[in-house]
Amino acid sequence: MSNFIGLIRNENMKIYRRIANLIMLALLIGFIGLNGIITKTEKSAPVKDNWKQELKAENASMEKTMKKEPMMKEHYERLIAINEYRISQGIKPQENKNQWKFVSDSPDAIQFILIFTIIIAGGMVASEFSWGTIKLLLIRPVSRTTILASKYISTLLYALLMIVITFVISWLLGGVLFGFEGSPRSFLSYTDGKVVEENLIWHMWKEYGFASIMLLMMATFAFMMSTVFRNSSLAIGFSIFLSLSGTLIVQFFSSYDWVKYILFANVNLKQYFDGTPFIKGMTLNFSLTVLAVYFLVFIALTWIVFKKRDVAA
Amino acid sequence: MSRKPLVELQDVRKKIGRKEIIHGLSFNIYGGEVFGFLGPNGAGKTTTIRMMVGLMKLSGGKILINGKNIQTEYKQAVSNVGAIVENPEMYKFLTGYQNLIHYSRMVKGVSKSRIAEMVELVGLTDRIHEKVKTYSLGMRQRLGLAQALLHSPSVLILDEPTNGLDPAGIREIRHYLRELAEKEGIAVIVSSHLLSEMEIMCDRIAIIQHGKLIGVQSTKEFVESGSTRKVRFLVDEVAAARHAVSHHVKDERMTLGNGYIEAEMERDLIPEVTATLVVEGIKVYGISSETKTLEDKFLEVTGGKEVV
Ligand SMILES: Nc1ncnc2c1ncn2[C@@H]1O[C@H](COP(=O)(O)OP(=O)(O)OP(=O)(O)O)[C@@H](O)[C@H]1O
Ligand SMILES: [Mg+2]
Repeated sequence: MSNFIGLIRNENMKIYRRIANLIMLALLIGFIGLNGIITKTEKSAPVKDNWKQELKAENASMEKTMKKEPMMKEHYERLIAINEYRISQGIKPQENKNQWKFVSDSPDAIQFILIFTIIIAGGMVASEFSWGTIKLLLIRPVSRTTILASKYISTLLYALLMIVITFVISWLLGGVLFGFEGSPRSFLSYTDGKVVEENLIWHMWKEYGFASIMLLMMATFAFMMSTVFRNSSLAIGFSIFLSLSGTLIVQFFSSYDWVKYILFANVNLKQYFDGTPFIKGMTLNFSLTVLAVYFLVFIALTWIVFKKRDVAA
Repeated sequence: MSRKPLVELQDVRKKIGRKEIIHGLSFNIYGGEVFGFLGPNGAGKTTTIRMMVGLMKLSGGKILINGKNIQTEYKQAVSNVGAIVENPEMYKFLTGYQNLIHYSRMVKGVSKSRIAEMVELVGLTDRIHEKVKTYSLGMRQRLGLAQALLHSPSVLILDEPTNGLDPAGIREIRHYLRELAEKEGIAVIVSSHLLSEMEIMCDRIAIIQHGKLIGVQSTKEFVESGSTRKVRFLVDEVAAARHAVSHHVKDERMTLGNGYIEAEMERDLIPEVTATLVVEGIKVYGISSETKTLEDKFLEVTGGKEVV
């Protein structure tokens, strides 16, 4: 086991001692900083004392639009329900600028984290081949399976670290820009036609959680591509392409029944908690099963190829 | 030899696709010897070494290291092995020291002082904390050697170890490899194109060509054994001498020079040829014979003529 921790430390050393990877980290922090500055300089109307009247007026106008645009019915229903809840419970709408609001928006950065993690995962095995270091790596009294596992876990740890950094930097920057606040306010979510009050931070971690499923699947996919094709550009390029176009692909084929078996129709589990499923008849259990099958196939393929392959690099 | 071999190859075969690259190699390598692996480009030296360290699977036969099968008891077998396969490629963005730390974490019981000792040994102390990308090829070769020796292996396998080293470096390594074999009883296996190097460095040499073993011989036997050598006779009349020598040696094996004639012949033939020359009344001022170097021998064995 101490041996395995050594392997993880090795992989971490190879990730964090490379300038290119540190630049990615800097970009992530830069993005959060930019977000902070934009939020800070943005004009927003202060919440007035007669906010209840304003919300009522807003609801009335939304009801009208809703009739004109039946497509958007669910979207408006949700906003109206939340406004009504505020009026009945006397919860003032939040001002946009405060520390916890800023922190709770931090899951926006997950797009960057996704791409950076794909870059790391796509290079994990392929780079060892292109550097020629795979030969010296594999002639140790450590099984190939263990080496592969240490590489995979290090990739996931990288993604986790990125999330933690995003959270911490957002919290610090939010505090510096908008003043530190003790406890976060609550967040109103709308599920199954009911409004529920939630802790804002709990809500934020849920967002991270939902987004992490995509992160995990695409990291695993890129890692598999990296191992199977031993070409990091291909692994990274293809994985990023799929990540960006996944939703589009699903929409394009949405008239077919088999579309529900596509990975990207299932990665967004939020559809079962907040909103409606993408395709009628899909359930949370169905999506979890599909995800598990994809995951196992990715892992099994990676493992078999890495274990069996002759190293002739 | 009666000692137990450290490395045993038993009818080792390798097929890639439908092409058979290694056709049944068998030989043993013992502790305390430097074993040379000789063959022209594409003979299958690197492929054989890859199989010996578990990078490639065998298509047939088996390889035992310290009695452990490299395929079925990989960890035990490979823990006795230190190796450089082809070029010593290291992580360029890490320092030499970080590279060694990296490999030390993959084996048991390599202390900081052992690392320092190896760095000292390969003469990299001054540069070890610099990034490998700033190293010359020779320095990388040295770092590769340090990496291979970290865990005190009993079998050291080096694919073309002198590649990129300067003459002083070559002498140093040669000296060190001999010492490892003699003092620590390690089996050292080297492949090299520098045949003259092999001659000085190795105790025994295996020649392979087209993936087949042509022979394993001790270096001494190999250089001296049988076959022909060039003999030069210093004579007064070259044309007459040519006629005399042609009783024993074919024309195409002779070269005529200004005041001498050279002919390829076996050692036993020299007195007879000399006698003929004398009988024919040719004045012989001198006879010299050169022993073949391993290089000549090697070219003879593996060259286009297919001597063996
Ligand atoms: N991955 C591969 N696929 C197909 N053929 C291969 C592969 N690797 C090696 N070979 C072939 O196997 C033969 C032996 O190659 P190998 O690299 O073992 O030779 P070598 O003796 O090390 O040569 P060199 O002195 O040039 O290093 C060559 O004919 C080569 O073309
Ligand atoms: Mg070679």
